[in-house]
Amino acid sequence: MIAPASNPNLAAAKLIDPQALMSIRNLELRARAVVEGFWSGLHRSPYHGFSVEFTEYRQYTPGDDPRYLDWRVYGRSDRYFIKKYEDETNLRCHLLVDQSRSMEFGSRGYTKAQYASTLVATLAYFLHLQGDAVGLLTFNDKVREYMPARHRKGHLRQLMIALEQPTSGQATDLVAPIERITTLIRKRGLVALVSDFLAPLDRLEKNLIALTAGGHEMNVFHVLDPVELNLGLEQASLFEDFESNRRVYIDPAAAREEYMKKLEAHNEALRAICRRLGIGYHLLSTTQPLEMALFGFLQERMRRGRQFRRGGNPAGGAA
Amino acid sequence: MSFLTPFFLLGALAIAGPILYHLIRQTTRERTLFSSLMFLMPSPPRISKRHRLEHILLLILRCLALLLLALGFARPFLTQTELNDPTAAQPKRIVVLVDRSASMRRDGMWAAAQERVDAVVRRAGPADHVSILTFDRQASPILTFDEWNQAAAGDRVALAMSRVRALTPGWGGTHLGNGLIGAAEALSESETKATPGPRQIFLVSDLQAGSRLDTLQAYEWPKGIELFLEPVKARTTSNAGIQLVAEAADSARAANAPIRVRVTNSPESKVEQFKLGWTRAGGPAEFVGAAIEAYVSPGQSRIFSVPLPSAGAVADRIVLRGDDDEFDNTVAVIPPAQQRANVLWLGNEAPEDSRQPLFFLRRAFSDSPRVAVQVTAKASGAALAAEDLQAANLIFISDVLAPGAAALVREQVTAGKVAVLVPKTPEAAATLGVLLGQEALRSEEAKPRTYAMFSEIDFGHPLFAAFNDPRFSDFTKIHIWHYRKFDAAAIPGARVVAKFDSGDPALIEVPLGKGRVFVLAAGWQPEDSQLAISSKFVPLMWSWLELGGGVSNAVTQFSVGDPVTAPAGVQATAVRLPDAATVPWVAGTAAFTQTTQPGIYEFAGGPRAVRFAVNLDANESRTAPLDAEELERLGVPVVRAAAAAATPVQKSQTMLQGMEAESRQKLWRCFIAATLAVLLVESALAGWTARRSVKTAEVSS
Repeated sequence: MIAPASNPNLAAAKLIDPQALMSIRNLELRARAVVEGFWSGLHRSPYHGFSVEFTEYRQYTPGDDPRYLDWRVYGRSDRYFIKKYEDETNLRCHLLVDQSRSMEFGSRGYTKAQYASTLVATLAYFLHLQGDAVGLLTFNDKVREYMPARHRKGHLRQLMIALEQPTSGQATDLVAPIERITTLIRKRGLVALVSDFLAPLDRLEKNLIALTAGGHEMNVFHVLDPVELNLGLEQASLFEDFESNRRVYIDPAAAREEYMKKLEAHNEALRAICRRLGIGYHLLSTTQPLEMALFGFLQERMRRGRQFRRGGNPAGGAA
Repeated sequence: MSFLTPFFLLGALAIAGPILYHLIRQTTRERTLFSSLMFLMPSPPRISKRHRLEHILLLILRCLALLLLALGFARPFLTQTELNDPTAAQPKRIVVLVDRSASMRRDGMWAAAQERVDAVVRRAGPADHVSILTFDRQASPILTFDEWNQAAAGDRVALAMSRVRALTPGWGGTHLGNGLIGAAEALSESETKATPGPRQIFLVSDLQAGSRLDTLQAYEWPKGIELFLEPVKARTTSNAGIQLVAEAADSARAANAPIRVRVTNSPESKVEQFKLGWTRAGGPAEFVGAAIEAYVSPGQSRIFSVPLPSAGAVADRIVLRGDDDEFDNTVAVIPPAQQRANVLWLGNEAPEDSRQPLFFLRRAFSDSPRVAVQVTAKASGAALAAEDLQAANLIFISDVLAPGAAALVREQVTAGKVAVLVPKTPEAAATLGVLLGQEALRSEEAKPRTYAMFSEIDFGHPLFAAFNDPRFSDFTKIHIWHYRKFDAAAIPGARVVAKFDSGDPALIEVPLGKGRVFVLAAGWQPEDSQLAISSKFVPLMWSWLELGGGVSNAVTQFSVGDPVTAPAGVQATAVRLPDAATVPWVAGTAAFTQTTQPGIYEFAGGPRAVRFAVNLDANESRTAPLDAEELERLGVPVVRAAAAAATPVQKSQTMLQGMEAESRQKLWRCFIAATLAVLLVESALAGWTARRSVKTAEVSS
């Protein structure tokens, strides 16, 4: 696998600093800025063209949809053939976004929620450009909003509006949205879960098993603020929990070691779950440019695509 | 200021709480919103010296509230002396009441008492007025307020102490009630407008349990007089006392029966084994005869029978040996002896004729262990010998006497005898005439229509004194069928002691020289009246015998200080004291009062010496300490703060006193009210501070 930083194409591309990006108020514009920059960066990518392609012809048999008859072949050979394509509209991507109040934290002038929204908007825009259907599910301690995966005019705009909803809720429940999405999507597709995962992971694995067993390709974007990653605070103070409003006096200098230990254990547990279930795991600091996230996402997909082709197990493939 | 529950003052340590809180708040004032506290553990509060306290006024108010609350719960009170502080500047009037009862004779007690008096007198200020009283049975001044005030300021203590040192403890009982009343009255009497200061009594005493306080029950203690106890502690605790068990005058015990003594051992005593025996005043220390081993456990008393000393042995006191204190170990004893009396009957009755008065008289004077009465009957016509008359204590005459005999009787009566004329016929008036020296006396037989009764009896007369009680004073059941009528008015000096219901005199008393003549108008024989068969007859006869000096019911055992009445018929000129000194005695004096020492006294100088024993008050042996609460119960305000060495009992009493003072003053209410007030101010200030800080935060944001 090629590391993003060492990728010369990506390095050549001019990455947008998240802080500058967040200064754009319109979410769609932000997404477009990332994706377009990304396109230009990938212009000469050897992975270009992996998308929708003709696969084979098959002789018509009664019962086939006559819409898919290749009339040109019929004109040449007087035989009915059905033209088979890679089903480009069959890729249904569902984006699961955490909008709990813990996402409201941010130390760089923007919050994790803003970063996550931009990330999701970028993914949605990117997939939309590719002609994929994109759905959205937002959640906090319960499922807030669900938009089925579609690819039609105006759907992206509605999606952006849903993403701009303010955060709410008293907790983060990772189980409910996964259970819900498992019941809602029947066709195999792509599922991306964007959250800070600041919640117990007890039942997460069980639910993710149910989801991945359905054949869905799963990606996890673990968004954390740099301060959360290293407890980079100096002054001892009364810490107030965003979600529960619980207040505890904490001296960061004294608590840092224990905190780092626990956070690392938590992240490792999540990473281990993802590894076991074949889920793509992306730990993102909010200071990381979004292009990196997008690139990591695509890289993961391609890796999987190759695996599937080799193994004959088309995870996101044709029906 | 004192505290009833001082442990609550530890609650004041809670002021550390607000101080710490004010320090900690400094660190926690900053708030940081954080995404999740799931990986964070609370840190212990960090306090360092560089933290400055904020909101000092609030802190002070909070500390003050806690302090006031702790003080309130500790139940403060002001002690009596503190309360009296405003008047402390005024001159005090002090009575030092010194116990000089017999129990103060114990080893070292008197010296300790003198030291206490010395200390109290020295404590008195130059403007104070001091008086010293001693008491045993009564209070008596040895230094009056006037004497104190007249002495030069520098000489007062020396004067007081010289008076006290001149004293020694007496032998009297501890009549503490009388002593305290005497002291209180001395203070009340000396009250003038010039001395409005506090009035105090300092009681220097061994405060023994045997102190008599009964007189205090009927005494209203004057307000404002305080009693300070200056208890004198005994060096020894093992004390046993000995007392005679009182015998009733009509006791049926034989004259030579053993003497019964009660040995009382004090509760704190460490000795249980004692010896009892007879000794003689001024004689050798050894017991006369065998000693009796007496075992009395502490706090108990037992009665022992001590046999009389063998005939010929001279012993007049029973001594107890084996305890620490000697003062109450001796009782002077006069062994009871059978008295002998002679009654002379002058009449012609046959002794065994049950219709005649002599028959009843003989039976009325039957012998008892204490008295043996010899009734001698002589015919009225027979010649009388002067010896017969002299031997007789009482002379009854029922018939007409020969003039010579009547003259002899008159002579004896004039010398002091008692003669009773019970005429069977009116002719006996002639004999009365001879006796009284009045020839013209007449009498006549009276026969009431049905019967006559006694009335208008003078129960104040010694003859009827025994009946001076509503239960015994009913003479109406005695019917008189016949009587002799005398004209009392015709007899000079005659006194009608009783009358018949017809108005005629029934009993006439005529004094004659040193003696007296009684005339009973009706006989007691059934022919004349029912007197002989009534319950009044025997006491009446014995009263006559007592009047005649034949028997004396006089008690021979007295306590020190008791007034001793001379038995009837005693013609003494002096009283011999136990220490062989003599005090002149005038016949007719009501009582002898100088019984100041224990021992055997004697009415001497007369034809018949009468001895009586004076012993220590039995209560003096009860040397266990008196509970001062007894005094408080009787309304005496006791201040025990002056006690030098507070015993545990005194501590609890001080505690009780404190509780009383606290419940009276209720200072805790003030403290709780102050706490509430401070809390109100604190709440208002805290609210104001909080509002101001919110406004500041809004402005800054």
